[in-house]
Amino acid sequence: MGNFDLLMHGFAIAITPMHLMLMVGGVLMGLVVGVLPGLGAPNGVSLLIPLTFALDPTSAIILLSSMYWGALFGGSTTSILFNIPGEPSSVATTFDGYPMARSGQSTRALTLAFMSAGIGALIGVVVITLLAGWASKFAMRFGAPEYFAVYFLAFAAFIGMGSAAPMKTLVSLTTGLLLASVGMDTVTGEIRLTFGLNELLSGISFLVVVIGLFGIGELLSTVQEGLRFRGVASKIDLRDVLKTMAELPRYWATTIRSGLVGIWMGITPGGPTAASFMSYGIARQASRKGEPFGTGRPEGIVAPETADHSAGSCAMLPMLALGVPSSATAAVMMGGLMIWGLTPGPMLFATKPDFVWGLIASMYVSNLIGVILVLATVPMFAALLRIPFTIIGPMIVVICFVGGYTVSNSSFDLWLVLVFGLVGYLFTKLNYPLAPLVLAMVLGHKAENAFHQSMILSDGSLAIFFSNTLVASIMAIGIALLVLPKTLQLGSRLRRRVPVE
Amino acid sequence: MTKTRTAVAAAALMLAAVPALAEWAPNRPVEFVVASGAGGGSDNFARTIQSALTRNDLFSAPIVVLNKGGGSGAEAFLYARQNAGDANKLIFGTNNVYLLPHVAKLAYSAEDLQPVAALALDEFLIWVKADAPYETALDLVEAAKAAPGTIPFGGSQSKDTDETLVALIEQTTGADFKYVPFNGGGEVAVQLAGGHVAANVNNPNENLGQWQAGAVRPLCVFSPQRMAESEPVSGDMGWHDIPTCKEQGLEIESYQMPRTIWLPAGTDPEVLAYYQDALRKVAETPEWQDYLAKTSQTGAVLVGEELASFIETNETGTVKVFEAEGWTAN
Amino acid sequence: MTVRRFHAEIGTAIATGALGVAAIIGASELGYGWEGHGPQAGYFPFYVGLILIGASLWNLVGAVLRHREAMARVRAALEIEEPFLQREHLGRIGTFLAAMAGFVIGTVTLGVYVSSLAYIAWSAWRQGGYRLWVALAIGAGFSVVQYVIFEVIFRIPLLKGPIEPLLGIY
Repeated sequence: MGNFDLLMHGFAIAITPMHLMLMVGGVLMGLVVGVLPGLGAPNGVSLLIPLTFALDPTSAIILLSSMYWGALFGGSTTSILFNIPGEPSSVATTFDGYPMARSGQSTRALTLAFMSAGIGALIGVVVITLLAGWASKFAMRFGAPEYFAVYFLAFAAFIGMGSAAPMKTLVSLTTGLLLASVGMDTVTGEIRLTFGLNELLSGISFLVVVIGLFGIGELLSTVQEGLRFRGVASKIDLRDVLKTMAELPRYWATTIRSGLVGIWMGITPGGPTAASFMSYGIARQASRKGEPFGTGRPEGIVAPETADHSAGSCAMLPMLALGVPSSATAAVMMGGLMIWGLTPGPMLFATKPDFVWGLIASMYVSNLIGVILVLATVPMFAALLRIPFTIIGPMIVVICFVGGYTVSNSSFDLWLVLVFGLVGYLFTKLNYPLAPLVLAMVLGHKAENAFHQSMILSDGSLAIFFSNTLVASIMAIGIALLVLPKTLQLGSRLRRRVPVE
Repeated sequence: MTKTRTAVAAAALMLAAVPALAEWAPNRPVEFVVASGAGGGSDNFARTIQSALTRNDLFSAPIVVLNKGGGSGAEAFLYARQNAGDANKLIFGTNNVYLLPHVAKLAYSAEDLQPVAALALDEFLIWVKADAPYETALDLVEAAKAAPGTIPFGGSQSKDTDETLVALIEQTTGADFKYVPFNGGGEVAVQLAGGHVAANVNNPNENLGQWQAGAVRPLCVFSPQRMAESEPVSGDMGWHDIPTCKEQGLEIESYQMPRTIWLPAGTDPEVLAYYQDALRKVAETPEWQDYLAKTSQTGAVLVGEELASFIETNETGTVKVFEAEGWTAN
Repeated sequence: MTVRRFHAEIGTAIATGALGVAAIIGASELGYGWEGHGPQAGYFPFYVGLILIGASLWNLVGAVLRHREAMARVRAALEIEEPFLQREHLGRIGTFLAAMAGFVIGTVTLGVYVSSLAYIAWSAWRQGGYRLWVALAIGAGFSVVQYVIFEVIFRIPLLKGPIEPLLGIY
């Protein structure tokens, strides 16, 4: 049976009243956990697992994955409205989504985000459908040096062309790297930079830092201006939603590029967070004209959202086919898989076609349901901004702190949120870019681990990063992304100078 | 915060202790503190017990699962120390509870926790890639002797159970491998299947998928006798067909990882008895049997003296390996 | 009182530099060399810390130079140096931060439910100009919703203080 027949078989399994109900329920619950920064998809999914024991594995995975999609959609909502990423992977959406919302176009920003998220997810599922067999073999070729090359590429794509002062970018990047190295180091087993504080033993959580930097930091900036939200006051109209949808085809190039980045990062387990950052960086490099990124450019929303969701769906593939989860949520789902008696691995596709193809087919349907539901709730979310700041402001503060606390149930993290709130405020005011810090926190330690593992394998020789075509070409693309923008800039400046002279 | 909390807990305990001649039972939600992240081995262990307890009505109080996997699980054990005397917290781990303080300077010691029970023993096997030239464990050892320090041996984490076992093999045979630590068992399984490392010592569950697919195969298991009978897993081979390492001439009698449950130190004996009783019942539920079968672990209900002597043997044996490798922190 | 941008730049540069120093101290306890099998545990933090110190120094010197330039212009009566925070802003941020810090201290001592009730009610009452009982109702409503979502539906325990057990909530 070809993949297409299998998919049709999958649809027959996925589209039953019972499964459709599970999808709607899952997406709705996911929206709730995604919107609240204190709850994430991993929380939601692990809470649902005990409930799934009564279901058969196919229904169970449909419920859990629908919740995951819902959480991914919901995570973008708070990013755009309040500059608080509900999920780690929607951090990059804040860069342009929040400025756009602040300039009075919150409906447009939300619609752009949800639509591109839906498109991204569809791109991802189509790829899964086509490549189910091949992709797992490809991912298998990734050893430690290849992983390092991928992380290097992500850094290069993002950092290559920043507009901020280089030394401030460097401060931000190195601060992130240092924060990421606190806690136990996987490769050496040493406890690093905790200075005897037990609270630092488990490291500084990326989410805690992000909630402080973006959520509290932004609130402080808002308060400085006066006790109200800046600019957000437009009326919400279904026409706005439709108008924005009509505008989407204009960003086809960004969409395709971001979809590809997402697929790549989803299959080679770089994960949705890395994908969204990388895609944002590439979109920024590719753009030539118009307003700079970070001021509410539509491409700045389309790029991270498309990549985030296509990576999110593609990440199901290494989870099912290799048993390698590329996100915390996938790890929890894998735990569920084992409890239901399924073993993730190459054989799953052969031995449990109903399960695998039912899931794949459900991904088409539940993402569609997700887009519809989330668009229907746009007016509701946008209306949140009309609540007086003196009420919603403190509520956001509470939600941020509770969110920080729930990451690891530690009251120490409350203080971290406060400190990073101040840091976020100061950095933004003084034009230190925040994105390199966040990226370094996400990928820094992983990159270091991969580097260290490669060094063990090669007995300390850097040549291992160019030892085969795969790793060498990823490294080459990375280096090119790091160097080319600057040279191109230089080149165009030279060319422009000719007529002047 | 912790002080107030402990004070409250102590007060609650005192209240509970007045009519304590009767049997103790939890009067508020019980926290299952898991010494691993969501989806990790200890997490699946705790959540299986949670579902077995609730579905069979063995437990009157609601259960809340908390993941505290930081610092290889040290976070959970420190939490136990901070909540000394709290009868409403159970800690789920492995032998890392008493082994971690030997290799890292940590602000807790094994005395801060009281063992409740061990319910399962997870096995360790030597795995190689399906097309590797090694047929027995000794083939692999000989290859490592012929080319010392070149054969990459993957494992999860550093100075943890996997590296300890590799070190034990090296100390027993005089071979020299190149140990490469990764984040978790699943990752190591793929690294082996992709041929990036030559061997690993994964638990059955972690390599099952790749074995079914014929990408990797087991050489031997580190247990005193062969594993339980099972359906054929890969080709016509089942778990019982895997020889023990001792059979193959690798002189390591047994190396198993207990799945353990602990209480913070300083609780009443009635509390301990209550949980032991509940966990004994868990071991008889179909959910638990199912879990053992699916993850190919060996069921073993160890409590009281038996548990103490198991821990004693396991700890002294492992610490000997640590000392020989120079890993001891103190 | 106003805070000048110069003060903020200097303060930030010193703080990031101090983080770099801390990293170097922490890393040198672990060893930052290159062993046979690759870097030691402190290698990355050590060199990253060095880079951070260097970049912070650069920013510090840059800020001082710009400040001098600005002062020269002030003396030439061309313009005044850009203020970072005016008195009015400082007051607003100060109040907001103090209330937030109060909320954190309250959370740690009294638990999150009591603390968020008080914090939200205070803000609505004092800053929003709502009547006290309305403000209290808003705060209480928020706390109850929070309790239901976290503890009842998702079974995630939040910080509690001495008051909840009196109400029979654990």
